[in-house]
Amino acid sequence: MIGVQDFCGHYDWTFAYLRHTYGEAALQRYWAEAIAFDSQRHAYELIRDKGFDGMEAYWGHTLTQEEAGYAITRTEDVFRIDMHDCPSKGFLIENGLAAYDDYCAHCMGWIGPVAQRAGFTIDHEHNHRGQCWWQLYRPDEAADLNAARAKAGDKNVELRPDWRRGDRHVYRQCRQMPPEHEDSPDAAT
Amino acid sequence: MRFAWPKARAASAQRVNRRERLLAAADFYFAINATFRFILQNYGEEALHRYWRALGAEYYAPLADRFRTGGLDEVARYWTAFFAAEPGGDVSVAREKDEVILTVRECPAIRWLRLHNREICPGYCQHCRHVSTAIAENAGMRFTLTGGGGTCEQTFSLRDGESPA
Repeated sequence: MIGVQDFCGHYDWTFAYLRHTYGEAALQRYWAEAIAFDSQRHAYELIRDKGFDGMEAYWGHTLTQEEAGYAITRTEDVFRIDMHDCPSKGFLIENGLAAYDDYCAHCMGWIGPVAQRAGFTIDHEHNHRGQCWWQLYRPDEAADLNAARAKAGDKNVELRPDWRRGDRHVYRQCRQMPPEHEDSPDAAT
Repeated sequence: MRFAWPKARAASAQRVNRRERLLAAADFYFAINATFRFILQNYGEEALHRYWRALGAEYYAPLADRFRTGGLDEVARYWTAFFAAEPGGDVSVAREKDEVILTVRECPAIRWLRLHNREICPGYCQHCRHVSTAIAENAGMRFTLTGGGGTCEQTFSLRDGESPA
C-alpha cells in the first residue's frame, strides 16, 4: 500500500517519473489539474467562496496538521504566509531525497491555478531549504504588499540570516522570474 | 531512475521518525487518488500499471533490500509499523511459518476517501497488487492479494525452494 507517512517521498519521485515519462508539460498539467482541482478541490472551494477567510481555514488546518513552522499575516488586502520549516521539503532534505530537481515548484504549480481561478494572484519566493513566503491578493486592486510584509514583523522569513543561503526562486503574479531577478525594491534585505 | 537512501537517513532516524509521524496527514490520500486518476484518464490503464510497477521497483528499492536481508521477520516488522503510522484503518499483521499475512478489515485510504465523499479512482486497490508485487520480486519473495474495496488479504511469502530468513 502507498501510505501517507512517506507521502512526500513518493510524491517527489512521481514528479520525476511524470517528467521523465511524459515530459515537463505533463507534469505542469498534473499539478494544475489533478492536484489543484481534484486532490485539493476543498482548498479551491474554500478560497473561492470565502476569500482570505477560506485561505486561513485551509492553511490553518493543513499546516497545523503537518505541524509546520509557519506564520499567517493578514492585512485588509493581502494574505501572507511565512514558512520557516516546511515539513514536506524538510522530509526530503532529512532523507536525502531529490528525485525531482525543484520539488518546491509543485506548490505554485497547484496553488497558482487555484488562486487565479478564485480571483487572486500570488507573489512568492522559496529558497529550497524549507523556507518560503507567499502573498495572495486581488490583482485588480492596489494591494499594499509592503504593509503585509511589515506587519509580519519578526515572523518575516526574509529576515532570517539564512534566507539568502538557498537558491531562491522568485514568482511575481504567479509567473516565475528569471534567475538573475534579485527582487523588487520592496523586498527585505 | 533509481534513488538510493543515503547513510544520512540512518543518522537522522530519530528526527525522521518524528517527521514521518507529523507528515502522516490523511488528506494526502486525496493526492494519491488524484494522481492515479490523472495517469488513468490521460494515458490509460496500462500506463497506470507501469507507474505502479516502477514505483515499487525504484522508489521502494531500499524496502525490497530490507525484505531481502531481513526476510519475513522484516516484512512483518515493516507492515506492523506502517499500519500503526497510517491514520485510521483496521489491519492486522500475522507472521506465519512461511508467510506474512496482512488482514485488512478496513483500508485507511479507502476509509478516508469514502469519509470525504471522494470519487475513488477505478482500480485504486490494484496499486497494492502492482507495487507490492514489484517489491516482493526484488526481495526474492511472492506477493498475493485477494479482495478489494477496502477489505482484503495480502500475503508475502518466500519463493518455492527458499528457506525462511
